[in-house]
Amino acid sequence: MIGFLHPWMLAGLVAAAIPILLHLLARREPPTVVFPAVRYLVSTTREHNRRLKLQNWLLLLLRTLLVATLVLAAAGPTAPLDGVPGHSPSALVLIVDNSPSSGTTAGGSPQLAQLVAAGKQVLARSTPEDALWLIAADGVPRRGDRVALSELLGNLTVSPRRLELGAAIALAGEVLQSEPRPGELVVLTDLQASALSAANPVVPVLVGRPDKAPPPNTGIGQLETGTQPWSSDGGRVSVVLVGDSGESVPLTARLGERPPRQALARVGGTAALSLPGVPAGWWTLTAGLDPDEFRLDDQRVAAVRVAPVARVSWDSTSRFVAAACEVLAANGRIRPGHEVTLGRLGPRASVVQPPEDPAGLGALNRALAARGVGWSYGNLVTDVTSSDSGAVVGRQRVVRRYSLQSTTSGRTGVLASVNGAPWIVRGGSVILLGSRLDPAWTDLPVSAGFMPFVDVLLNRLARGEAALEEGSPGDPVRLPDMVTEVRRGDQEWRVEGGGLFQPPEVGVYYLRSGRDTVGAISVNPDPRESRLARASDAQARELWKGARVVALQDAANGAFSSASLGDLRGPLLWLALIAGLAEVGLASAWRRRP
Amino acid sequence: MNRSDLPSGRSRLDLLDPLEVSKLGGLELITEGVVEGFLSGLHRSPRRGFSVEFAEHRMYQPGDELRYVDWKILGRNDRLYVKQFEEETNLRAVIVFDTSRSMAWTGSPATVLPKLAYAQRLIAAFALVLIRQRDATGLITFDDDVRSVTPPRARLSHWHQLLGTLAGLEAGQGTAAEPALRRVVGQLRRRGLVVFVSDLLLDRVLALKALRFLRHRGHQVLVLHIMDPAEVSLGGPTEARFEDPESRSAVVLRPRDWAGAYRDTVRGVISEWRLACRRHGIAYHRVTTDTPFGIVLREALTPPSRSA
Repeated sequence: MIGFLHPWMLAGLVAAAIPILLHLLARREPPTVVFPAVRYLVSTTREHNRRLKLQNWLLLLLRTLLVATLVLAAAGPTAPLDGVPGHSPSALVLIVDNSPSSGTTAGGSPQLAQLVAAGKQVLARSTPEDALWLIAADGVPRRGDRVALSELLGNLTVSPRRLELGAAIALAGEVLQSEPRPGELVVLTDLQASALSAANPVVPVLVGRPDKAPPPNTGIGQLETGTQPWSSDGGRVSVVLVGDSGESVPLTARLGERPPRQALARVGGTAALSLPGVPAGWWTLTAGLDPDEFRLDDQRVAAVRVAPVARVSWDSTSRFVAAACEVLAANGRIRPGHEVTLGRLGPRASVVQPPEDPAGLGALNRALAARGVGWSYGNLVTDVTSSDSGAVVGRQRVVRRYSLQSTTSGRTGVLASVNGAPWIVRGGSVILLGSRLDPAWTDLPVSAGFMPFVDVLLNRLARGEAALEEGSPGDPVRLPDMVTEVRRGDQEWRVEGGGLFQPPEVGVYYLRSGRDTVGAISVNPDPRESRLARASDAQARELWKGARVVALQDAANGAFSSASLGDLRGPLLWLALIAGLAEVGLASAWRRRP
Repeated sequence: MNRSDLPSGRSRLDLLDPLEVSKLGGLELITEGVVEGFLSGLHRSPRRGFSVEFAEHRMYQPGDELRYVDWKILGRNDRLYVKQFEEETNLRAVIVFDTSRSMAWTGSPATVLPKLAYAQRLIAAFALVLIRQRDATGLITFDDDVRSVTPPRARLSHWHQLLGTLAGLEAGQGTAAEPALRRVVGQLRRRGLVVFVSDLLLDRVLALKALRFLRHRGHQVLVLHIMDPAEVSLGGPTEARFEDPESRSAVVLRPRDWAGAYRDTVRGVISEWRLACRRHGIAYHRVTTDTPFGIVLREALTPPSRSA
């Protein structure tokens, strides 16, 4: 966009109308001269009149152009031009992609260091009149002057948080929206293909990316610990490797500080490792690879709960319940005992199914109320429907069920539902089933998922185990109701149950309720960060319309180009000179020979 | 002012600026001064003008004037011969004078006489030269119609009558030359001289037709094309509305843009007149009003065969 150093001079453009006004005024009131030889004039003009009119208009045009170009030159016009030192005051948002992938070592130095160096060069070109912002992987726009932002850049470290570049560009657009100065966006990134997403930038975008291809990488994309809690006999873990290399790499897995187990694993494949038994409690499982250029994904953690199997007292009159418990007991998943009562309301943790005889429902509700369970059985519902698919139970046909009614306000502890209505709920140490575990009530007892369901029901849900959550740094995780504190090593965070928690770094965060550990969050880098493959420049230009993609070392030169100003006075003065010479030349030539 | 006040000696009036000359006195006095100067500058007798045309020799007879004896033949052959002239009698001339409104114009009143005033003085001088060599001279004035007719006479007193007519002239309106030129026929029953004095801002076809008619009748015709210097080269303000004083037609233009083309047009017009006149044996002289009278008289009184 063309700007002017002295815009008030543009008022002089009115002077451009002077030749036209003179022309019109002169045409309006020419003096009358008595001249007998008018017939000679008529004869003369008859031949040349058309050409003379054209000449007059051309001269008028040249004179107007001359005045206009002189006035414009006096106003000091400037226009954005590449490679011109200096620029008009502008607003620039610098996005530095310090996501995990920026920790890759390339060419002997961390890629982040290259991004930071390029960022400092960009900031060095700014002037005190510029408005500057810095956005890193944490997604917080920070405003400051050149010095402050350079210092921030210098302190920047590889963030465990993933940076969605499209979202960052959109955020920058919002930041610049209220800015009157011409805006510009500089994105310094490794241009990781998995980090690209579409955006509709409202300001010019300059993308600086390394000119060297990223190194090959192998990382741990997934770490599964299987059904928990583990028994004291140990457990099995499965590890999924991601990356570029197809070769087998050594993999280790260890619980706490126990000796690791090792195996060879292939990229793209899943490796299974058996870990030996450990005492009951919470353990941090760490899976690791040999270090490569990208270290952050060479290790992955998970929380493991080790506990003895539940000791269960089950209702042997309920055929399907008894059969399932016998099978679980035979496989060592439960033991006979009185820790959990299955089928009826027991003195301790219980899984209660409605009585076969509706007459016993009132007594059961009263007993539940006496235990302080916030739920009771309501009316019998006999419409044939299906349960809603969830974590506890999948989609199952439900023929008969009792409606479950909450007797308290607040969170209900619904574990499964049918058409949105509670079907399996927990109140304290008691779990209420809306239907009996009988094919006359639901197909669940005759489904393939029945055994795992009963296993989870007895070993986890009935014993009050908190869910094990997973997340990435910075991503919010919803905490269970009873959680009051989150702890990681020596760090502690006081939290409110049911609220959101954003784990800042990679690691295992234990959830505590009072003095009890009730769950854990396993926080690992986003597995997409392991794919270091870079997007092409064309992809970036396609996703971000009008973006210019340059090498990192050229980013500084390209920055502020939308506000870099070229002085147009020279060309305008040349144009004025040409117009003036043309006017003089044509006027004198035509005067000699009209 | 009397005759002794006129410039004498080397200051010949016929060669002075016409405006300066006109300031020296009345029409009669000025004209006489001009003619005197003009005649004194001639190397040949003005009497050999239009009226003396050699035709053949014949034997001398008693009573013949001795001045016509050809002495060269007597020296060679010892015989007396006298020169026989084609026109023994004096010439009859009629001056046809355009007094239309356009003739009253001058482009520079401070430095140049109006065409009418200039022509008045020129015609008076011309008539005096003719009358002094005993040529009968008449005058017809016209604008859009014939205004006055003065029959040709050869007496000097007649010149004074012509002066009175010229002095009393005022510019008329339009220009209609053909009737005036045809009126000449009534004044010149024998072959004579017709002098047409005009700025030629008239209908060229009709005027030429009338002039051809006179030429066909055997008259010598002399056209004096009177032009103001400002009519020859165009000048004036930056832009102006040029208006014809006779027809009131007008044209708006910028003189400096058109000066060159106008000059070419005027040259073309003059050239056309010159060619048309030459084609029909008519003498043509372009006279600008800043030209001294003597120069014009010399050119006009040169026999037609020598004129340009």
